[in-house]
Amino acid sequence: MNENLHERAQRLLAESIVEGLRPADETWLREHLAECPGCAREAAAAQNVLQALRTVPVNVPRDLAARTQLRVRLRAQESSTAASGSFWLWVVTAASWLLGVFSAPLVWRGFAWLGANFGVPKLALEFGFVLWWTVPPLLAAAIILHQKALTAEWGNKI
Amino acid sequence: MTDDTQALAIGLRRRDPDLLDRLIEQYQQRLYRYLLFLTGNPALAEDLFQETWIRVLERGAQYNGKSKFESWLFAIARNLVIDASRRKKISSLEDLGDPESNTPYDPPDERATSVLQMLVSRENEQSVQLSLLKIPPYYREVLLLRFSEELGLEEIAAVMATPISTVKSRLYRGLAALKTAMTEGVA
Repeated sequence: MNENLHERAQRLLAESIVEGLRPADETWLREHLAECPGCAREAAAAQNVLQALRTVPVNVPRDLAARTQLRVRLRAQESSTAASGSFWLWVVTAASWLLGVFSAPLVWRGFAWLGANFGVPKLALEFGFVLWWTVPPLLAAAIILHQKALTAEWGNKI
Repeated sequence: MTDDTQALAIGLRRRDPDLLDRLIEQYQQRLYRYLLFLTGNPALAEDLFQETWIRVLERGAQYNGKSKFESWLFAIARNLVIDASRRKKISSLEDLGDPESNTPYDPPDERATSVLQMLVSRENEQSVQLSLLKIPPYYREVLLLRFSEELGLEEIAAVMATPISTVKSRLYRGLAALKTAMTEGVA
């Protein structure tokens, strides 16, 4: 038996493991292994390695699945709360914007009345009018930032 | 698309918590083993295990049910491993996607292998598994996906986002590398 036959057997052995063999090659390999103890030993060793790979028994940390399930449930809850929270935030923001636009003439008149009756300087009135517009979005931004901080803190605790 | 994968896709789109609980139970051993052997680090494997399921929750709508769920799951886990290796500069994970870069592979230190030794429960199978840690991660990964997870060549190609020819060549080279590592281990 020459060297080429053993090389072919090794090649077919690897092929049989990786992608399977055509029936003719399979028959040839089987016959060769029956006659060649060296190649048969190689084939048996390869099968042992494959068997060990197939049954790699790793001990999963006991509570890993439970911890993961809890974390996934919390995240699901958190995102649905955040989604509904941001929906209401949008509603409130839109309502406050509309109110702001439609009430602007009244507010301006109110500030003018304050100026006329209490002698408030014009600069203070203008500053008050600007605050009337900027306080609601600043409050909304503060609420969003606070919610995000709480969420991050909660996520770190899990 | 089979009825099972279709039902799974619908459940994931709805973010069904009971379905996710079942999947976590069902795939815990396979996913943790994949991550553990890919990273060689039990603590990191645990973190990535949890992150993988968070991603499954968040990106469940992207699973279309046309491929096997495990291929999709392992692809998510693999991307997280790559991200973690970039972030934390884990030496054993460098070049996970690029065996052709051919930088010499530095096997994990003794501490990593001894931790793994504790986690691998059957002594007579330890030599194969410890030899696995001595071969480069891009070979280790295909061997695990093919022989431990029993994925088909096409499924592995989908997980790794590479052509089937690359998967085959890595399998051939990986088997040769494992054989060498085992021979050196015995010697």
